[in-house]
Amino acid sequence: MKASLKLNRRAFLSTAGGAALIGAAGALGMPREAMACRGRLATLIDLTRCDGCDGQAIAACVSACKTVKAGDVPQPVDPIPVPFPSRKVEDWSKRQAVSDRLTPYTLIYIQKAEVERGGRKTTVFVPRRCMHCDNPACATLCPFSSNHKFENGAVVIDPETCFGGAKCKTVCPWEIPQRQSGIGIYLKVLPTLMGNGVMYKCDLCQDLLEAGKTPACIAACPRQAMAIGPREEIVARSEALAKRIGGHLYGREENGGTSTLYVSPVSFADLNAAVQTGPGRPHLRPVARRMAGSDALGKAVLAAPALGVAAGVAGAFAAISRRKDRSGKEE
Amino acid sequence: MSHDIREAENRVVRHSGLEMAEHWAIALSGLVLLLSGMFELPMAARYRITALPGLAWSGDFIASLYVHYAASLVFIAAACFHLAYHGLRGESGLLPEKGDLRASIAVIKTFFGKGEEPPFGKYLPEQRLAYLGMAVTIAVLILSGLVKTYKNVFAPDLDYTLVLWATWLHNAFFVLFILAFVAHIGALLLHPNWPMIRGIFTGTVRLDYARRRHPLWMAALEPPSAPPAPVEAPSEAAPESAPESVTVATEADLPPSPAEEAPVPPEDEPDGAART
Repeated sequence: MKASLKLNRRAFLSTAGGAALIGAAGALGMPREAMACRGRLATLIDLTRCDGCDGQAIAACVSACKTVKAGDVPQPVDPIPVPFPSRKVEDWSKRQAVSDRLTPYTLIYIQKAEVERGGRKTTVFVPRRCMHCDNPACATLCPFSSNHKFENGAVVIDPETCFGGAKCKTVCPWEIPQRQSGIGIYLKVLPTLMGNGVMYKCDLCQDLLEAGKTPACIAACPRQAMAIGPREEIVARSEALAKRIGGHLYGREENGGTSTLYVSPVSFADLNAAVQTGPGRPHLRPVARRMAGSDALGKAVLAAPALGVAAGVAGAFAAISRRKDRSGKEE
Repeated sequence: MSHDIREAENRVVRHSGLEMAEHWAIALSGLVLLLSGMFELPMAARYRITALPGLAWSGDFIASLYVHYAASLVFIAAACFHLAYHGLRGESGLLPEKGDLRASIAVIKTFFGKGEEPPFGKYLPEQRLAYLGMAVTIAVLILSGLVKTYKNVFAPDLDYTLVLWATWLHNAFFVLFILAFVAHIGALLLHPNWPMIRGIFTGTVRLDYARRRHPLWMAALEPPSAPPAPVEAPSEAAPESAPESVTVATEADLPPSPAEEAPVPPEDEPDGAART
């Protein structure tokens, strides 16, 4: 369980609110390094370096992720309740070894693209996981706030409160979160009528970050194809790299901006055409942030109290003034 | 006699146009908020609400968000207007008074044939309690909703503890809002309250009903010096009439003398907005 989720849930449950949060953090003796991850972070994935650990059964980043996350998904109940009326159960517990797509047990995998570059056929490997968007609809629209974006940029699902309704997957442009049915809090509420498990996706190894360590996939890469660091530095480094190789960037503008920047020697349109896409296998198309259109209306909502009060005050004073005029005339 | 009393039409003005506009703005936008709020749960697609005519958008969470925002704009502005306008004018008729809880229990018992209703003012004691309950519910929904909206627009990484508080208060009071809405409609279904249904649509209720059931309100509208005059039966059939057990006959039940029907300077501005 992620320390940040624990702390925040504890603070929420405590009536002392913010004071409890500070107290709990102090009591747990949060290491100094934990504070270091509170700045905005970003990751760079350099596709000129990644070779997909070609020749190995499973890429080092995928293997490291599976190792560090082993045991995170509990064993589902047997039998898994069949949800009404969809009857759709998603059980990956018997296919935990699958590593060619995203699943609750595989939070990063490698896409392979055979593309032509300069008249030569070349292979590009693309590690895929959650992009950790700057304003992620998966988190902001979660009806139970089980999914949250933290100050360091990591978007993290709390498996203790997730109902597995898969709303986060529906609103994610890449449909990244994956569901395991038969586990989670929904079993204690209305298992056949509400929810359907727990959603899983990359959390950028939030617990390691809070301990001042590097996410497992990045640390395990034998070719240093991935890097993490302060956002401004990573953005500058990615742009410089793309410029130097005459390459392309993905993740800077997508979905309103993300904390994951891919640098590729070939265009992402070509990569998207070459990679296998589908359930659990996200695309590489340009993506606009759909919620951006609602921001203007959201700002108007935030102004609504002032509008209402102003109209009420103006109306009340006008009415009081009319009443005074009338009583003056009567006298 | 108050200009609110329309003797010839057997009507008395209960709500001004402004009050009805406030009520319906909050009620209709609240209803839209309830529905679009439910559609923010992953249920519309699951339960095939999307297949219903005109509700295909209900499965699109971002389309539902647009609808939710639009309705909350009206809802919040109307609620804040209500608070500022009537608060500044010192109109507190809907706020609970001492003894309202006990009185409400007694009134509810009368709905089941136990005892007789006491004479009422403009509002029933349970109406005042319900108003407070609804006001608190709406206030919490608005405040928590504003935090959620701020997070959506400006600060997705807002403090998680604050986000959890806002989310769970919003969810819990969403349920309370549904219950309050059901109770509100349920109260209108009670036979003695039927005459008030007309009031919230047209602004007026039957004068004979008001004199019979709300004599304290009518006493405030009609001068106490009104000389007695014979009671004329109301011209309308009375499906709306109060139970026979409620017979609070006062001088206020009686139509005014011709002298009273002479023009009286209005006690309030033309929209009668001071009636809350």
